[in-house]
Amino acid sequence: MNKKVGNTISSRILSAIGVLFLVFMALFAAIPLLQVLFNSFKTDRECKTSPLGLPKEWVFNNYGETWEIGGYATAYFNSLLTAFVVIVVVLTIVGLGAYALTKLQFKLRGFFTAYFFVAISLPGFLYIVPDYFVMNKIGLVDTRWSLMIVYTAMQIPFNMLLLRTFFTGIPRELEEAAKIDGCNEINSFLRITLPIAKPMFLTVAILVFVNVWNEFLWSNTFITKDELKLVATRYVRFTGEHGMNMSRIYTASVITIAPVIILYLFFSRRFIEGMTSGSVKG
Amino acid sequence: MKTVKKGNIVPYLFILPAFIIHACIVTAPSLSTLVMSLFEWNGMGNAKYIGFNNFKEIFKDPLVKLAVVHNIEWLLVFITVPLLLGFVVAILVSQLRKCQMFLRTVYFVPYVISAAVAGRIWTAYMNPYYGVNQVFAGFGWEKLSKMQYLGNPRIALFAVAFVDNWHWWGFIMVLFLGALQQVDPTLYEAAKVDGANRFQELIHVSIPGIRQTIAFVLIMTIMWSFLTFDYVYIMTNGGPANATEIMATYIYKNAFVKYRAGYANALCVIQSGICIILYFLQKYVSKLGGMDDE
Repeated sequence: MNKKVGNTISSRILSAIGVLFLVFMALFAAIPLLQVLFNSFKTDRECKTSPLGLPKEWVFNNYGETWEIGGYATAYFNSLLTAFVVIVVVLTIVGLGAYALTKLQFKLRGFFTAYFFVAISLPGFLYIVPDYFVMNKIGLVDTRWSLMIVYTAMQIPFNMLLLRTFFTGIPRELEEAAKIDGCNEINSFLRITLPIAKPMFLTVAILVFVNVWNEFLWSNTFITKDELKLVATRYVRFTGEHGMNMSRIYTASVITIAPVIILYLFFSRRFIEGMTSGSVKG
Repeated sequence: MKTVKKGNIVPYLFILPAFIIHACIVTAPSLSTLVMSLFEWNGMGNAKYIGFNNFKEIFKDPLVKLAVVHNIEWLLVFITVPLLLGFVVAILVSQLRKCQMFLRTVYFVPYVISAAVAGRIWTAYMNPYYGVNQVFAGFGWEKLSKMQYLGNPRIALFAVAFVDNWHWWGFIMVLFLGALQQVDPTLYEAAKVDGANRFQELIHVSIPGIRQTIAFVLIMTIMWSFLTFDYVYIMTNGGPANATEIMATYIYKNAFVKYRAGYANALCVIQSGICIILYFLQKYVSKLGGMDDE
């Protein structure tokens, strides 16, 4: 089919090099993670002498031991509880807020929209110091509440703008028809917008979950008690204490990232589109 | 009359919960950071007003200078390596007929995992005795097997930057790929008709087509380079011998280790000032390009 027969060989070589490069980069992204999984089935001695490659003998006791010693049952509970509360609150207030910003007419609509556009730019370091000392004063530091409150607040602007973009795509006529049929705002939100927007809410929920699960700076600062630590900070503490036991480090890593990776394998498109969506438009 | 009044209140009831929570936890404290940067304060006792003394100290503090230099080195790495890598890979992937989605999923994996875990995994690989050095020794590469990636002050910062890059470039690649897929395909056909080769197509169609995204990524990279924290904190915490001290780790130490909250706040003001200016610059640039969705 190619018209320039003379060029085919060199262009084939070029595209072969290109494909090889793509494969190499895929391995570069994936192998460090797969290797962690393999190493979690090695003995500590084998992790140290041959940290790359498949296990020579597969051992399965790392998981039980690490889960037990690292207190991962508690850490999982803390992370799941925090994520659950934050997701429910964020979905509720951001859902309502984004509905107001896109579907309702009111005087300060422009102000609130601009507010969230500016708010998204405030870096965490700008408010972590006062937040910490105020929460310390009123006794919220070292409680689950501190992170729930802080995470909820931090998640608002990005998800507000994300849902706002989504909602703009829902035709106005649907809600107006509902209002003509006698629905009030809450009902038209619950009966019309919500069912259409369900997949978008799922995207927001996933993004919030991953952010809460992965977050480190704030939970490292606000929680010092082991039994209240979330998974990521508990992991850092654990791997610091067991720094010489490589098989524990690798196993703890798998335990810590497994939920996110599994979610990602199921919802990779939502992850990618959600995480990059603010970037081009916002 | 009743319905009109109701209609006026309802939107505020919808928007205010989000606004109030955010304003209390983020905006008001951010403003108080501005004010408190003028005080000497240990976080607990009484704050003492000292005018701009914190800022004067910042300009004399040799560690601040060092940290800023490291942030700039960090920036130089991140404005070149992941951008080139992401760009080249995005171009190559966009020309594939199959596997686009699969590759995108693989390249993006490091971006979704926690920085804490990624940092610790690579610290384990870079362990001078139990990590990849064992493998190098097995190959007989004496010199390489004695490398102290995180222990040698001359390379520690770049070792951490390498790991952050591993996590980061896939995100850039996805941004570029998304932009490339939006370039109008008739432009490529027009270029072909004009006899353009692949390279000319790249220069005259692809790059202009995604210039918005390139501008966005450049400015955001500068911003993020001054905010970066997690990887450095997890892998080296500023060491060895301050060789990886950056603005964020230095702020963290001042605020939560030395309890110099006032001084930390002044540092935060400078760091955030740089970033917020860049954010609005980015907004302005994308408005110039007519891409803003507003």
